[in-house]
Amino acid sequence: MGAILELENISKQFPGVKALDDVRFDMTAGEVHALLGENGAGKSTLIKIISGVYKPDGGTIRLDGETVLFNTPREAQQRGIATIYQELSLYPELTVAENIFMGHAPRRKLGPIEVLDWGAANRRAQEILASLNIHDLDVTRKIGTLTVGNRQRVEIAKALSLNARILIMDEPTAALTEADVERLFNIVRLLRERGVGIIYISHRLHEVFELADRVTVLRDGQYVGTKPVSETSEDDLVSMMVGRTIDNLFPKLQTEVGKPVLEIRSLWRKPLTRGVSFQLRAGEIVGLAGLVGSGRSEVAQVIFGINPAESGEILIDGRPVMIKHPGQAMNHGIAYVPEDRGTQGLVRQMRIRENISLSVLKAIRSGLFINRKQEYSLATGMIKQLNIRAYSTEQVVNKLSGGNQQKVVVSKWLASKPRILIMDEPTRGIDVGAKAEIHRLMSELAREGLAVLMISSELPEILGMSDRILVMRGGQVVAEFPRQEATQERIAAAMMSETAGNGAPKSETMMIGESETA
Amino acid sequence: MAVTERPSQLTEPSNPIVSRLRAVVLSKEGILFLIMIAAMFILSLLTDKFLTTNNLLNQLRLVTEIGLMALPMTFIIITGGIDLSVGSIFGLSAIVMGFLWQDSGWPLELAIIMCMVVGTMAGFMNGLFIVRVGVPPLIMTLATLALYRGMALGVSEARSARGFPDWFFDLGQRQFLGIPSQLWILLIAAIIAGIVLARTPFGRGIYAMGNNELGARFSGIPVRLYKLAIYTFSGFMAGLAGYIFTSRISTTRADMGTGLELDVIAAVVLGGTSINGGSGSIVGTMIGLVLIQLLKNGLLLGGVKGDATIVIIGAILILAILINNLVQRRAGGD
Repeated sequence: MGAILELENISKQFPGVKALDDVRFDMTAGEVHALLGENGAGKSTLIKIISGVYKPDGGTIRLDGETVLFNTPREAQQRGIATIYQELSLYPELTVAENIFMGHAPRRKLGPIEVLDWGAANRRAQEILASLNIHDLDVTRKIGTLTVGNRQRVEIAKALSLNARILIMDEPTAALTEADVERLFNIVRLLRERGVGIIYISHRLHEVFELADRVTVLRDGQYVGTKPVSETSEDDLVSMMVGRTIDNLFPKLQTEVGKPVLEIRSLWRKPLTRGVSFQLRAGEIVGLAGLVGSGRSEVAQVIFGINPAESGEILIDGRPVMIKHPGQAMNHGIAYVPEDRGTQGLVRQMRIRENISLSVLKAIRSGLFINRKQEYSLATGMIKQLNIRAYSTEQVVNKLSGGNQQKVVVSKWLASKPRILIMDEPTRGIDVGAKAEIHRLMSELAREGLAVLMISSELPEILGMSDRILVMRGGQVVAEFPRQEATQERIAAAMMSETAGNGAPKSETMMIGESETA
Repeated sequence: MAVTERPSQLTEPSNPIVSRLRAVVLSKEGILFLIMIAAMFILSLLTDKFLTTNNLLNQLRLVTEIGLMALPMTFIIITGGIDLSVGSIFGLSAIVMGFLWQDSGWPLELAIIMCMVVGTMAGFMNGLFIVRVGVPPLIMTLATLALYRGMALGVSEARSARGFPDWFFDLGQRQFLGIPSQLWILLIAAIIAGIVLARTPFGRGIYAMGNNELGARFSGIPVRLYKLAIYTFSGFMAGLAGYIFTSRISTTRADMGTGLELDVIAAVVLGGTSINGGSGSIVGTMIGLVLIQLLKNGLLLGGVKGDATIVIIGAILILAILINNLVQRRAGGD
């Protein structure tokens, strides 16, 4: 059978990032084609190009052999391409049938005017659902009253009402219960028999083996390869996804690891911090790995007091402390460089000077007032120390490049003279040079005795920088590796597979996890 | 203060004093000040009763209450919030003062203190709900706009309190060192508020919150505490203004101050404070306050009819904001 969809040499550039570089993809009718890759590998960008949300900068898209260019998602829809995104896009206040036929409801004549025929819509909605073996869903119910699994079925029915021939599913099982996953799989198989092509994105490798016919792997915006599922294995796919060489960008310095400065014991904050325990020692860089949604940032924000813990203990220098808000965390010498520098890390409309001093305003007072001189010299010093490329301390942060903005965030937290530095995705979206500088800095800080906790989605960064690596999944630490024993494959396996693979699972946290999900 | 090692991408004017001056004149406040001077000049041509010391001082006396409430309102609007209940708090505090003295027989001194206590409590309630329950400021203060006014009406039962002793009018109707007494309070309060906003960690935190509340929180700024403080401060100032107003007009009624919140907000916004939060200044608010009052007064004295006055003032306010936006876009066009 010939390909119904072919993409060739697709490229897409965003400011500062090459999201896709010369990527290809193809699918035949009645095929389930899995799309795999780490966070940021370009999967989302690719499906957005297929569904008409983005236009590619280069390359061709062929539908049934005919070159097409979609200007809007609607055009892609009309050609039979439907997408079910992670966050479902239904109207909670409308009924099942109204949602299914939103924008293309059947009409009937009422005298001289044409009106929407909701009776027919209800009947047709019922028929479509029945064709998916869904008989327990009342089409007049409001979406807001349905479970996530049922909403997803409505999304699928909506796609079919548009005569979709290509259905894109972006992590469809992420929010589903076991029973719902099974029903979803049955529906997917049903659709495959009817000749619908399905692009299936998931981080769960076993789903890929259960469902998919072929799999395409992307890495750093580049095409790695396409294989029939029958000719590959989990290990094979993991190494395709992460198989980068660790380059010389990470000048990790040898450090002397000292006493524990931070210890957390069975920390809970639902939903994504579920009994986390670990230690952080002076002079040590601990890498915290895990997929998006595994609870890495959430733990950091519990420790920093953004969302205080519901239970569990935080110990600084062996003494239990109370951290209810960031101010208290800062008093204990904790600094947190957050994941999203635009909304969390910076006040971008303000000047470099004002951003750097924001965490230490109380410390640079003379009397009641901010000491301007001290503020200037602090900012000037940081600009020099971190080599921030700006023409003055008075430049508005918004106007700086991503890397320099990140350096301003780091400056702000170095200014607070922390003993414990938590860095959440410290080099995301910044250029190679700035990345190397931040790594060098991190390494130097550890050598000066800081305890560093580094959260990262990039395995090479984790492997390159960390003295010790913790892996999180489902709000728990599921594995721990010393630097010498860590490999990309072992970490990736612990991040993704349900059995924690060949990593060294922490038995007690695993037990909590199992009783929780049971 | 500039970091000299880096290549300058701006063409710096050679003379630092000239550049400093240029920055002041081209600031929002500078432009507004020029507009005010121009307006005063034109109004003084319409009538010679306008530009006299006596008239001007008297006009300032009339705006003291609005001015006092505009100070915390500037803080609140910079954080991206709003307080619509100040007019009602103003009325409630004054009526409580009047009836504690007249009906309940409290000493007037104590009643005056209670006036400010009631205002402070009312503001604190606003802040508490905004911070703890997360009610948007617009909704919360819209609700208390009605609630506090209703309480004032309930307390007064449509009567007024009057017949205060003579010393009570010192603040509202007399002069101190040749200047209307209450103007001293506004002057001192404005200077303190201005310095707090511009120079202290608290003030910096207010700006940071207005630009990016999440970012401020992630930087350890006690966002909720600061919010509670400014809404409480707003209530206190409304109470103080209620007392000064009663002292000025000799009587207190439950409906006084109705609609006053809009005058307060107009002064703040005309003064260059962004209604979206993040920028603004006390100097601007004070110029905005004076500009509106002088226009009202000057046009009245110039013989412009009441209805036309409002239209002209409205038009001039829009014009002032347009001119300022134009200049700011030009100046900040890099």
